[in-house]
Amino acid sequence: MSNLGECILVVEDDAQIRNFICYSLQSEGYKYIIAKTAQSALNLLVSEQIDLMLLDLGLPDFDGIDVIRKVREWSEIPIIVVSARDQDKEKANALDTGADDYLTKPFSATELLARIRVALRHLYRQGGNRQQASAQIGDIKIDYDKHLVYLDSNEIHTTPMEYVLLTLLFKNAGKVLTTSYIIKEIWGVGYGNDTQALRALMAGLRRKIEKNPAKPRYIMTEIGIGYRLMNE
Amino acid sequence: MIELKNSRIAASISYILEMAIFLCLATVTGYIFRMIKFPETTIVLAYLLGVLLTARFSKGYIYGILASVISIFAYNFFFTEPFYTFAVNDPSYIVTFIVMMMTALLTSTLTSHVKKSAIQAQEKESETKALYLLTNHLTDASDMHDIAGIATKIISTVINCNAACLCFDENELPEKTFVQQISPEKQIYRDTENADEIKCKTEELQTGYYTDTEFYNWLIYGKDSVLGIIRIPANSAAVMTEAQTRLLRAMIESTALSMDRFILAQQRIKYQEETVQERYRSNLLRAISHDLRTPLSGIMGTSEMLMDMSKQSDPRYELAKQIYEDADWLHSLVENILSLTRLQDGRLTLNKQPEAVEEVVGGAIHHIMQRSPEHDITVKIPSDLLLVPMDAKLIEQVLINLLDNAIKHTHPGNEICVSAINDEKRNCVIFSVADRGEGIAKEDLPNIFKMFFTTHIKHADAQHGIGLGLPICDAIVKAHGGNISAQNRKNGLGAEFIFTLPMEVGSK
Repeated sequence: MSNLGECILVVEDDAQIRNFICYSLQSEGYKYIIAKTAQSALNLLVSEQIDLMLLDLGLPDFDGIDVIRKVREWSEIPIIVVSARDQDKEKANALDTGADDYLTKPFSATELLARIRVALRHLYRQGGNRQQASAQIGDIKIDYDKHLVYLDSNEIHTTPMEYVLLTLLFKNAGKVLTTSYIIKEIWGVGYGNDTQALRALMAGLRRKIEKNPAKPRYIMTEIGIGYRLMNE
Repeated sequence: MIELKNSRIAASISYILEMAIFLCLATVTGYIFRMIKFPETTIVLAYLLGVLLTARFSKGYIYGILASVISIFAYNFFFTEPFYTFAVNDPSYIVTFIVMMMTALLTSTLTSHVKKSAIQAQEKESETKALYLLTNHLTDASDMHDIAGIATKIISTVINCNAACLCFDENELPEKTFVQQISPEKQIYRDTENADEIKCKTEELQTGYYTDTEFYNWLIYGKDSVLGIIRIPANSAAVMTEAQTRLLRAMIESTALSMDRFILAQQRIKYQEETVQERYRSNLLRAISHDLRTPLSGIMGTSEMLMDMSKQSDPRYELAKQIYEDADWLHSLVENILSLTRLQDGRLTLNKQPEAVEEVVGGAIHHIMQRSPEHDITVKIPSDLLLVPMDAKLIEQVLINLLDNAIKHTHPGNEICVSAINDEKRNCVIFSVADRGEGIAKEDLPNIFKMFFTTHIKHADAQHGIGLGLPICDAIVKAHGGNISAQNRKNGLGAEFIFTLPMEVGSK
């Protein structure tokens, strides 16, 4: 995927990590703008043409969640959250508030760039609005027109629910989806937060597409957060 | 005892004499009234006065009642016709007798009653005064022995004896010495004569007190244990009146209250100190860990970047790699310290939910494979979906720590196996992480779950451990109500770590 020189807003108060992020971005040909506080980040979002925001959750002035909420009032730009390891609740919260993905410190440049690519790809796909007839990830292929799923070119039978789940994951390939988001998408808003039903559904789907459900190749579990369909 | 009886008889005799005098006086007055031709009713009133005075100056109801009966007969005998006989000519006198009798009885009982109430009120007042004195002094007490001393002094004054107080220590055992009042101003410490026997007797005790050769011993019962004994010398205790006993009990009760209050205050101070210390400790650890974490992330990122920038043949690549690995090691140390602090704080609340075993195992393996992709990990889990109540994030941590250990001790290409079995009989799930490393030395086996333990039998090229990974696993599994153990594999080399998680949600 060629790089169009997108502009990325890096909101991070630690100089070391900021330098490292900026260098990684530069080496991939992205433009970047730096913000050290949440307030300056919000100002920059208004004044500059920005395609994606990298947001550290532990900022000195604002809670990261509040920043996401404010941005989401008027902008749909992809937000990737950067957080420490013991902030699972905050992570899930940030994702449900509107963040697109998260990175846990310490992260590698490869990880960072992969997440940025995924987020930008989803941005373009939304803009393109083009409904594909089929999609393939690894050995799994979905034929959207015929509602069929193939594994290694062999058709596999999925229940309607499993099909909905799989297409949802496919459309968000590479992105983490929180359990509550998936439940809302599949069962609707009024269903509450019955993670057990989702677990059972996920177990059924995994048994159909994974060789070993406990060593999944496609659907990864992000404990405490949700699921991610691997596409790279 | 005999003295007491004698004094009682003497009192009765004096009361009877009093009664006789009052009634004689009434009779004489009656004669005088009759001589100066006063109406007969005045004579009746003179007798009533006699009854009233008897009741007033004697103790109990008995003399008043006796006086009323006697006065009826006397009136009948001396003042109704025919005189000097108990016969009556005019039957209307019968009515007079009855009314007189009732009036006399009522006045005598009322008087006695008023008197009794007055005495009781006086007793109550002195009781209250004594109690007030006691509590007032007890509030100034600064420790247990102070309380014992004050109680002894005041009880001695009130009961008028040489009382003593024996305190019990924290383990509810009698102390070696006890305090006794020997004169109004002087207290001495005496050796406790037979601590075991006292302990024994207090435990068997059914009534409020027990006796030994020298003392009557009243126990001081605290909120949940015996706090001490108030000892009253046997000769004083034997002659204590009911009111005194009641007062003594009340005083013991206030002593118990103030001892309890003191113990509680002491405990609270101790807990406060402990929590403050604990908080300092964990805050410090957390602050250090947090401040280490951010720069370490920077170091790791930057060194990784340097690795990317240099070719693998370049010596700078090796140097950058070394930096990265050391930073990574330091980072995991920091993370471990953080988790352990949180676990030991007890502030960790388990977020227990039914979780799919395959997801937790899969998550852990995914995590490990990112770090060490060269190892192959075999997974054996039940083919059916198995939901186990657990805090998934923590159990994932346990699996990651165990797998990390396994990888450290196993050469790539050798087998590492993770398995989970549903043990329906014991209603739990058994997880196992087995490797093909060199196993665990026999002398290390009992210690590996202890904090900061690392094996002393080192291999030249072995990575140095921190000795925190397994204690964390131990703490997490125990918090779930499970068990963790380690053993060497029976068929061939290698170690195996096994932990269980109970299936029922309720158990903690």
